[in-house]
Amino acid sequence: MSDKRQKVFLELKNVSKQFPGVKALSNVSLTINKGEIHALVGENGAGKSTLMKILSGAYKRDGGDIFIEGSRAEIHGPKEAEALGISIIYQELNLIPGLTVAENIYLGRQPRKNGCIAWKRMFCDAEKLLQELGIELDVKALVRGLSIAQRQMVEIAKAVSCNAKLVIMDEPTSSLTHQETQLLFKIMENIKEKGNAVIFITHRMDEIFSICDRLSVLRDGCYIGTSDVRDISRDELITMMIGRKLTQQYPDRNSKIGELLLEVSEITDGKKVGPLSFEVHRGEVVGFYGLVGAGRTELMRLLFGADRKKGGTIKLRGEEIKIHSPKESIKRGIGFVTEDRKGEGLFLPFSCAFNISLVSLRKIRKYGILNLKKEKEAAERYIKELNIVTPSRNQKAALLSGGNQQKIVVSKWLFSDLDLMILDEPTRGIDVGAKREIYEIINVLAEEGKAVIVVSSEMEEIMGISDRIYVMRDGALSGEVKKEEFSQEKISDFLLKEVNAG
Amino acid sequence: MKRRVKASYLSVIWNRLGVWLVVIGLFFLITVTCDNFLSRANLINVVRQICVNAIVALGATFVILGGEIDLSQGAVAALIGCEGAYFMMHMGFPVWAAISAALLTGVFIGTVTGMIITFLRVPSFIATLGVQYILQGAVLLLTNSQPISGLPESFTKLGRGYIGIIPIPTIILLIMVVIGFFVLRYTSFGRNCLATGENTQAAVLSGVSVIKTKIVIFAIAGTMSALGGIILAARLSSGQPSAASDLSLQALAAVFIGGTSRGSVMNTLAGALIIGLINNGLNLLEVNAYWQKIALGAIIIGAIALDSYRVSKESQS
Repeated sequence: MSDKRQKVFLELKNVSKQFPGVKALSNVSLTINKGEIHALVGENGAGKSTLMKILSGAYKRDGGDIFIEGSRAEIHGPKEAEALGISIIYQELNLIPGLTVAENIYLGRQPRKNGCIAWKRMFCDAEKLLQELGIELDVKALVRGLSIAQRQMVEIAKAVSCNAKLVIMDEPTSSLTHQETQLLFKIMENIKEKGNAVIFITHRMDEIFSICDRLSVLRDGCYIGTSDVRDISRDELITMMIGRKLTQQYPDRNSKIGELLLEVSEITDGKKVGPLSFEVHRGEVVGFYGLVGAGRTELMRLLFGADRKKGGTIKLRGEEIKIHSPKESIKRGIGFVTEDRKGEGLFLPFSCAFNISLVSLRKIRKYGILNLKKEKEAAERYIKELNIVTPSRNQKAALLSGGNQQKIVVSKWLFSDLDLMILDEPTRGIDVGAKREIYEIINVLAEEGKAVIVVSSEMEEIMGISDRIYVMRDGALSGEVKKEEFSQEKISDFLLKEVNAG
Repeated sequence: MKRRVKASYLSVIWNRLGVWLVVIGLFFLITVTCDNFLSRANLINVVRQICVNAIVALGATFVILGGEIDLSQGAVAALIGCEGAYFMMHMGFPVWAAISAALLTGVFIGTVTGMIITFLRVPSFIATLGVQYILQGAVLLLTNSQPISGLPESFTKLGRGYIGIIPIPTIILLIMVVIGFFVLRYTSFGRNCLATGENTQAAVLSGVSVIKTKIVIFAIAGTMSALGGIILAARLSSGQPSAASDLSLQALAAVFIGGTSRGSVMNTLAGALIIGLINNGLNLLEVNAYWQKIALGAIIIGAIALDSYRVSKESQS
């Protein structure tokens, strides 16, 4: 008994949280052991962030108890959470770009000498800390110049330097490359070996199975269960998460690949992309796979007219088109679901209806006057068809969960009824259920004879939904793989193959 | 996910009526504290006094919604008022022609301002500051810093006349409010304007022509400033080069008090009314005019602080 007590770092008993109209968490009981990496999984809106916010003191729980190392704890704010040894790394990293790595790590608790900051000692301490964690970073570098992955490492170092015994990470890998993820995992292992615990929130199955010791599932604010990772299969986990059996993660498609729709030759931006050539047919789903930074997004922006191309031609329906702006490409039938849905896709303070209709105002306009009734009908239709969970079409987009926000972005392009749809990381940061729904939409588009380009960094996903895959590396296409030849090995080969980008 | 299905009634009422509740509250407060507030003459006075500011503020509403700011509106109004007067008095233009020419100048100035901001990529704060000084210089050159007076009655009617018991400027204001409301709600331009102001990146990628939208926004601001300038000249019976010096900021005050975060034409009207009511109330209470400025400043800060508090409250729950 006492042995067990020593092992447990954090214990939640029947923790509940009520928001007006809904129970966000009901009776969640959970134990986190010292020296384990514990995955917290669940769909968007399952209550993961609410739970985190209770642990960080941002929310006050309505009921239940929290025990830390066996004694009852009250957490009223971030300072107290820190004092108790809990550190949280949010998706939106909280670093100050204009300061150095070391300054960020010791922000607010800089080592002092005679009331002044002891710079030398601070840099020295920071260096030692990074070394211990196996992080290679210049402590005097400005955070502004760091990649997202590197910034995360700084956050982790900061957490460790606060003597965190429990580090909670909210989807830290969602914008990391494969290598960066591996590096992050190494650091997580380091933390674990020191006897500290990590709560790892992620949507990626393979990550759970490759790094975590145990996992706990939340669904609709309820605690579903905890399991050793070795004792559970992928399918069982998905069933736990969504409460029903997901027969198949990638739904079957029944489309006929038709005539040539898009023919791109020797396109280049003169910097990062190309020159490269490819083609897309009607009824076809073409995947663009590659690491983050391979130039996939840049290529799509060229295609969409968001950036100016420096050379090459784009032929749509056999005719060469000259596109100077997204407005023109939309007119010609190209749509673009961007990877950054909040920054580039949505108008957060405005209603779902506003967001859905913006691209297609011409469809609800007569003599220059908008027909709000038509707008309402369209919005309600897509909310229903895509299963968007929202109290009404007038709800602000900001108040929807990630998956539902993504569905709003997709609706806006569906409503504009275009021939070629480009989806850049369409399932990033959304849950399994919503992912499958996005795949189904892609299938419907292909079945309607439209062409779909999907950009993704997840190999499993790209193989699951594409008819053909182009592998991109350093701004060039390093290979093309047809459906019959799909295999992880083949695609990885192209990923690593040297290509001449010039 | 299903949380916030039920917003509290209070916030629903506030979101629907919002700043109009403040107008109503203020109205009652002044009714109780000032004896002669409810007299017909005084009420007509209030609705006439706010007109110039409210019309200019309607233009500012579009600019603010589009994510920009226009500091040149007062200078445009002063120039246009004097220009109209100059056309009538020194060039023998008939009233209608002088008004049309002056209004067109306003459209032109706004368009050029918009082009400076979009094509030359000068931030609007700086661009309109520059335009303001240029226009202030221009109006002094045009008038030699002397008022142009003796304007014909058919013109001054615009600022002083009545239709029935309603002042003509008030009628012009109401027409503009209706048009503004309609444009914002029922046209693509209105949507594009909101989209551009909220998230320019997303607007471009949604096929909105941001450059065109911004130029039109400033053209509208120029037009409304010009209209305000003409009505002001009509009310003063003269083109006053130094009038309207404070108008840009007063208009912005009306927009901000009305509530930028839910910015709409009706909110701006309410904002202008609040300023008008407070000025009127303090006048009736015989409070020193200097104090009125202090009150206005405090109200602007208070209004925005309240709005920020409300927004943060909303995002918290």
